[in-house]
Amino acid sequence: MSVWGSADGWIAIAGLAVGTFLIRYSFIGFLAGRRLPPPVARALQLAVPAIFAALVMPLVILANGELSVSARYPHVIAALIAGGYAWWRGGMLMPLLLGMAVLHAILALT
Amino acid sequence: MTEVSRRHAAAESREAQRAAFFAGVRACVVFMPSYVPFGLVCGVAAVQAGLGEFGALALAAFAFAGSSQAVLTQFLNGGAPLAMAIASGLVVNLRMAVYSAALSQRMSVTTRKERLLWAAFLVDQTFICNEARHERGEHIAHPLAFYLGCAAVIWPFWIFTNALGAFAGAQVPPSWQLEFTIPLSFVAMVVPMLKTRSQIGAALAGAVAGVLFYSLPMKTGLIAACVVGTCVGLLVDAVQKRTQGVTP
Repeated sequence: MSVWGSADGWIAIAGLAVGTFLIRYSFIGFLAGRRLPPPVARALQLAVPAIFAALVMPLVILANGELSVSARYPHVIAALIAGGYAWWRGGMLMPLLLGMAVLHAILALT
Repeated sequence: MTEVSRRHAAAESREAQRAAFFAGVRACVVFMPSYVPFGLVCGVAAVQAGLGEFGALALAAFAFAGSSQAVLTQFLNGGAPLAMAIASGLVVNLRMAVYSAALSQRMSVTTRKERLLWAAFLVDQTFICNEARHERGEHIAHPLAFYLGCAAVIWPFWIFTNALGAFAGAQVPPSWQLEFTIPLSFVAMVVPMLKTRSQIGAALAGAVAGVLFYSLPMKTGLIAACVVGTCVGLLVDAVQKRTQGVTP
């Protein structure tokens, strides 16, 4: 296989790239500078914590898509401590380091 | 305004713009470790799917969306029809429409070129960094400069990690658990934003729904969970309004 791949491959790349850009541009293009009605704007504000929580939770508590307390409790504790620190002091680096340190400490000790 | 004071104001604005850009750079440097394991995997997978090393690079640079890159290459590898592979990758990226809508409400007057730039670099990390910046009320005069500072770190580094995977087949030992920095970084970004009961309700419901719907195909569970979380947040709004007569 050459370093340039196949023609089909390039169609796939172009398709995903163009389509993804259109999704990204969708509402920015339509709505920028226009204010949505307050209830819709409020729903959008609440959608942000909702979608990020939905992104995060499975990555913390699921192992290969399965709920497994014995495999994931170190990750749960690490995430709780990182989240607690972020809530208390904010910042990004410290919660990250703390979370990874706690995770590895628990994994090493058990 | 005299010519001198005008020139002075322009220099000050350039200075503020530069400060905003570097604040964005600093805000996103911490995301770099979380890009390594996934970027490598995406690079390797793209080559395995027959895109070639340069195809892998182009995919990282122009799609610039890890989960959808992984889904696309997985479908191609499995011999799925081209249209199906592309459509599946796009469905994974539908959450970006939510970001796009939320971001549009943060903009006032923008040129088309500015809107194209906002859209081009819209990923989970740049979006949430911009939300956090907005929340803190920083660099209000130069939001795009801050955003481009974020992008200046994340976009090249994403391409770099994909290239390492594609050209060198590099891997991170699984025992490092480096991929766990992805949820940790989102936790660190989002938790300080949770200030009202409605937001906390939305996050808790989103988290539970995210797990319940996790097995839905092509991450559509994420969109469903977003809807559930938002509705719960709005419900908390309504209850608070009724019991206390206060607006959130």
